[in-house]
Amino acid sequence: MFRDFLKHIFPRIVLQRNLRITYTFCLGGLAFTSFLLLIASGLLLLFYYQPAPERAFQSILFLEESVWGGRYLRSLHRLSSHLFLVLIFLHTLRVILTGAYRKPREVNLVIGFSLLCITIFDAYTGYLLPLDQLSLWATQTGMELVGTTFLGTPVRGILVPDGVGQPISLLRFYILHIVLLPLSVLSLSGLHFYRIRKDRGLLPYL
Amino acid sequence: MAKTGQSRRRFLVALAFLATGFFFLARFLKPVAKSKKTLLTVAAKEIPSNGALVYREARVAVIRKSGKISAVSLVCTHLGCTVSATPEQLVCPCHGSSFDWQGAVIKGPADRPLPLYRVEERDGRIAVLL
Repeated sequence: MFRDFLKHIFPRIVLQRNLRITYTFCLGGLAFTSFLLLIASGLLLLFYYQPAPERAFQSILFLEESVWGGRYLRSLHRLSSHLFLVLIFLHTLRVILTGAYRKPREVNLVIGFSLLCITIFDAYTGYLLPLDQLSLWATQTGMELVGTTFLGTPVRGILVPDGVGQPISLLRFYILHIVLLPLSVLSLSGLHFYRIRKDRGLLPYL
Repeated sequence: MAKTGQSRRRFLVALAFLATGFFFLARFLKPVAKSKKTLLTVAAKEIPSNGALVYREARVAVIRKSGKISAVSLVCTHLGCTVSATPEQLVCPCHGSSFDWQGAVIKGPADRPLPLYRVEERDGRIAVLL
């Protein structure tokens, strides 16, 4: 069943020269793999992280000190997130430099760009969660910046209703980070892959 | 049987991987918290002679009887409710087990005595040790 699923992702006929790694460096695929890693490591982190301001930092310390594989898991999650962002940027660069956004792939470019924005926001909300000094002040400055944009004040009021690092705001960032944004990434990725197949795969002339 | 193959071998290998995976998952899910050694401390002179101090939240009673100080756990050995203290005995409100003040079972569904904690005298304070 899994083999059939994997097989259906590829078109019936694939030119052998299109399978060269230097064709696309498989950047998009690597990005999606790191996203799957993030989901897996995030699921395990869920068992120990506590989304309350007075317990968040302590729970991370506990995870690192007293849990088998805790330090490794946290590093894995963090590094996969860095890798994910780098790979998505490189993938966007490749798409632009090879002209893979032209007709009929404009819709996919828009989907891909939304994925980029949602991913960055996901990484941003995740950054706050350990509530250490770096996280808190990064979020504080970020939210100030948000407040200066157009419609910034209501957006800021929704994101951090009671101030950065307070209970409701932390919980809101937590919900965004583990439910809403990953679900959006997953559904948009599905759409992204569907569009690739619909546009009959990669460009044939690279 | 048209299908040749290694389906049995693959099944066993998959089983082995799953078993190892679950073993390590179980280790991940059981943290080893460094437990503190002292449950609580109390000034020695606060313990009444021929009486006891009952700590409901810490679930321990510190007793002084004929000069000797001891500490008995208030966790019922039946299913874990906190036993209630009366002058003669300790009674569990959940299923009716009763223990004497040394922890021995008088009656009830419980069949193991209440555990006793070690106590240590430190500078006029009594420490109840886990």
